[in-house]
Amino acid sequence: MARNRVILIGSPNSGKSMLFNRLTGLQQKVANFPGITVDVGTGAMRGLPDTDLVDFPGTYSLQAISAEEEVAVDYFERALEDDQVQHVLCVIDATRLEKSLYFTLQVIRDCERHGKCVTVLANMIDIVEKNDLEFDVQGLSDALHTPVLPLSARSGKGVEAVTRRLADSLLEPDTAPRAHLVDTPDELLRGAAHQLAHRYGPKGDVLIASQARLDNFFLSSMTGGIAFFVIMYLLFQSIFTWAAPAMDAVEFLLGAMADTVVPLVPNQMASDFISDALFGGIGAFLVFVPQIFVLTFIIGLLEDSGYMARAALICHKPLRLFGLTGKSFIPMLSGVACAIPAIYAARAIDSPRKRLLTYMAIPLMPCSARLPVYTLLIAAFIPSGTALGGLVGWQGLAMFGIYFFGMFCGLLVTGLVSRTSKDQYTDLPFVLELPPYRIPGLEPLLRNAWNRAKHFVTKAGKIIFTVTLVVWVLGYFPNYGADLGQSWLGHLGRVVEPLFAPLGLDWRYGVAIFTSFLAREVFVGTLGTIFGIEAADENMAPLVEHIQASGMTIGSGLALLVFFAIALQCVSTLAILSKESASKSLVVKMFFGYFLFAYAAAVAIYQLAYWLT
Amino acid sequence: MTLSLWSLGAGDRCEILGYDDALADKYRVRLMEFGFHPGESVACVQSLAFGAPKIYRVSNTIFSLDDEVATHVLVRLIDG
Repeated sequence: MARNRVILIGSPNSGKSMLFNRLTGLQQKVANFPGITVDVGTGAMRGLPDTDLVDFPGTYSLQAISAEEEVAVDYFERALEDDQVQHVLCVIDATRLEKSLYFTLQVIRDCERHGKCVTVLANMIDIVEKNDLEFDVQGLSDALHTPVLPLSARSGKGVEAVTRRLADSLLEPDTAPRAHLVDTPDELLRGAAHQLAHRYGPKGDVLIASQARLDNFFLSSMTGGIAFFVIMYLLFQSIFTWAAPAMDAVEFLLGAMADTVVPLVPNQMASDFISDALFGGIGAFLVFVPQIFVLTFIIGLLEDSGYMARAALICHKPLRLFGLTGKSFIPMLSGVACAIPAIYAARAIDSPRKRLLTYMAIPLMPCSARLPVYTLLIAAFIPSGTALGGLVGWQGLAMFGIYFFGMFCGLLVTGLVSRTSKDQYTDLPFVLELPPYRIPGLEPLLRNAWNRAKHFVTKAGKIIFTVTLVVWVLGYFPNYGADLGQSWLGHLGRVVEPLFAPLGLDWRYGVAIFTSFLAREVFVGTLGTIFGIEAADENMAPLVEHIQASGMTIGSGLALLVFFAIALQCVSTLAILSKESASKSLVVKMFFGYFLFAYAAAVAIYQLAYWLT
Repeated sequence: MTLSLWSLGAGDRCEILGYDDALADKYRVRLMEFGFHPGESVACVQSLAFGAPKIYRVSNTIFSLDDEVATHVLVRLIDG
């Protein structure tokens, strides 16, 4: 039997997601629309058998002004034509009726046109009551010719009434035709919304006053600046430091599993495959799961508390110079730890054009996977001396320089692309609603972080496994892993040696660069294998000596540093980018574009160093 | 006297008169959805340093607008 479907729709910041979780018991499935990233959650309704609740993306109106909104609105209109859809629940913020009512009237009108039942849910009624504000629920219900149910998604008050209303409606659908809004144009609805909000909505500015006090602190030049840096520092710490024990635990667990499983496999080739490709390759991406979980949790915390909108406001002006928005800041900062959670964080950017530009900047942020490569090359080519009485170490300065260079390249790319490609249709104006400050709910935050980590494993896993398999086969055959230099990968390295000759690099570095497209840090391990050094990624000193003795010049070392700062060598990043942007062509363009950019910059650096020395 | 919304300082209150022709239709529509329609009273709540977007109150909602949008909203000063 086909299941009944109930649509949940509302404007952003109306508390819709929390209500969805209340009504479904947090059993949310997340799916992407084809062609564009718009999340729709579906969950079985508590207390209503054979009924699913479909959570639509928050939108301010049914008049789309961007391609992404158009997809969401089209999907809603298609849902209204679906016979399985029995009822539409439209969530409004009871504390700010003006903002929600225009959209609500549009929804009621469209439901009338399609003969669907609709109920308006006035959320946050607890805040209205707590502040002794007056909200004429019955008056609004009469004026709308639609039931209005007051509730609090946070406390659960009134939520049972929604389930009862749906149960009654599903049992005896109200099929009486309604036509009070059916032919009303948007312009008249806008005026009506304004009048209804003034007549029936809460009056007084108690809520605004408390919000203003906090904004005076968080947005003032002095205290706001300090608060911003403290919060961003904690965010950065969470990615690097707080996630580290969990990442170490995953690594330890995988290592222990490998140590247990691999000796049990009698066949050598199967044993090598399980050890190198499964535990080595797949394990390398699984260690990012705790980082994604922690970052998603912290970002959710910032969003739910209302601070994220303030952070976006603070960063907007400087980032606008490079075609970005204030909301690009957190994803870019996260990218300094790892591009994968950063790409997920970019979902918070509502302008598709700005989100696309942010996607372009993220892979150029100096992520932690670049760190082992930078450490190795800097140790090999930059003297360890100091200047200014020991205040400045040359190697530290080089590390700072290459980090800054990556960020500069990110802004350079977005600045150039935003100035040379004008696609106004996919852009949105910077009109940002500053939501009230509130204490976030722990359970939805944990659930969201869990879903995001699961999404990473299930979606990126297939692509990563395929690429890992290909690289492993190339490196293993035809001599069964005996000598990487004589493998197909080694031969490939010699074939492409002329490509790296303008950088002063021989085939060994070519092979290491090839394998680093799996993950950048693999570069160190591959060079270790080629030079015959065990566990080079844990103790780099012998490898540094081998590189110095291999005849590689400082020009080649600098060229490699620049190459790694720009090239997009991370199959996990490419896989997630492809899923999140829903554009394979973007990923292909970015991969080859950044490779060419990296190659050209590296050749230029090598040639410059050659002429100078 | 007609001013732009962007020219308001913190504490100023104004009435929206309309939008200039340079503002794209879709932006105008979105502003009206947010409550920035002609005749509505708007207060500038905060004006941040370094040209950052300003903060405005319309009805019971707080919005932040940058100069790219706010300069195209025409207003008449009520208090300030």
